[in-house]
Amino acid sequence: MKRLLTILLAVSVLLSGCTTGSMGVEQKQYTATFLNLFDTVTTVVGRADSEAEFKEKAQKVHDELLIYHQLFDIYHDYDGINNLKTVNDQAGVAPVKVDERIIRLLVDAKAFYESTGGRVNVALGSVLELWHEARSDGRDDPVNAVLPEQEALDKASTHTDIEALVIDETASTVYLSDPEMSLDVGAIAKGWAVQQVAESSPTGLLISVGGNVCATGPKDTSGTPWVIGIQDPDGGNDYLHTIYVSGGSVVTSGDYQRTYVVDGKAYHHIIDPDTLYPSEYWRAVTIVCEDSGVADALSTALFLLPMEEGQKLLDCCGAKALWVDLDGNIHYSPGFNDLIRT
Amino acid sequence: MNKNLQLTFRKGDLLAILLVVAMTVMTAVFFLPKNTSSQNAVVQIYQDGELVKEISLGEDQTIRLTGTYRNTIEIRDGKVAVTETDCPGADCAHSGWISSVGRSIVCLPNRVEIRIVGDAEVDFVVR
Repeated sequence: MKRLLTILLAVSVLLSGCTTGSMGVEQKQYTATFLNLFDTVTTVVGRADSEAEFKEKAQKVHDELLIYHQLFDIYHDYDGINNLKTVNDQAGVAPVKVDERIIRLLVDAKAFYESTGGRVNVALGSVLELWHEARSDGRDDPVNAVLPEQEALDKASTHTDIEALVIDETASTVYLSDPEMSLDVGAIAKGWAVQQVAESSPTGLLISVGGNVCATGPKDTSGTPWVIGIQDPDGGNDYLHTIYVSGGSVVTSGDYQRTYVVDGKAYHHIIDPDTLYPSEYWRAVTIVCEDSGVADALSTALFLLPMEEGQKLLDCCGAKALWVDLDGNIHYSPGFNDLIRT
Repeated sequence: MNKNLQLTFRKGDLLAILLVVAMTVMTAVFFLPKNTSSQNAVVQIYQDGELVKEISLGEDQTIRLTGTYRNTIEIRDGKVAVTETDCPGADCAHSGWISSVGRSIVCLPNRVEIRIVGDAEVDFVVR
């Protein structure tokens, strides 16, 4: 009889671990999508007692992200805001007084440059701009799609010195001392912004900006982790894996993102600063890491590095990764297996 | 201590074994991956953030959306895809057919999202 009792106790614990909601109330899970931020898809997922309650939370996340979207935009001007376009427009002319959030982003960007051995370089704007134009034109008119001219790429690459990015934290100004240089924070800004917003958001939300996913805590009060699917680079409905995430960030860099086709070959958007061409190390790299900004930078860096060097970066940040090589084989960093659900 | 106790098989033991077996089966059933492309799944189509259409994934049909650009959305055999578009890049059409709950197809230029909702196994997909 004693044994029976023990077993019954185990059952009740197991069952109580499965119930949802704080006071026995079953909360519904909602999803909100926004298509106006960072030229990508923003998704907020969370549980709430009512749709109205969730919408309010999601709208707050959107409104905060919108500020970062405008500050870090290099293509558009906004009334009364000095953003990164302003900084680029004033290259070689004058320092620009900017919001402290731009200062903090760029200070972190310089640190990422150092820690990734220059793989993540926000001063690569003049090179990336050539690819951006070629891609944009090629997508509008696929028949006449062309690659950027090598001569133009070579010339642009002489104006990518991170030292020419001059940050004055006291005066809150940014100055590009090379008039031909321009900033492009695409490799870090989304993750960085998600991290900032996540830190001021309520617990139990899943926030994604263009695949930079951050969980502000488990999905309910009993600590149920989120289940995140990692897409197969070959597309389709299959996942490489599904993983458990209770907090922190997940992001993937893949050769299928933001592509265009020239002469039957697809070119993606992650440019190797050495070759000035899209990198060809990996099909995809997924990073799991506490900080979303670090995760974003790491996913770019690891996408541009052989596995051993990538692993060194992971070790510095306490991050984990999954690589998909060009033959479709999957490689795991130590510890990644602990996250895998299926 | 008591040798007899180790040897006798009691009713309680049988009950305990049965309970363990029952629990194992129940747990297995509970955690077994559910069929996510179930016929109960619903396709939601949003444009400019508004839900413009909601159709069962089991109902074959063609929907034509206008806006800045055009999207032809087809639901066939429990799958949905954008089969035609004039948007730049045509990422939506290149997304192919989707059938799992939680998946979505997005057309950024036309501000359209096509989402499959239902009982999801996965909360979010990183791509």
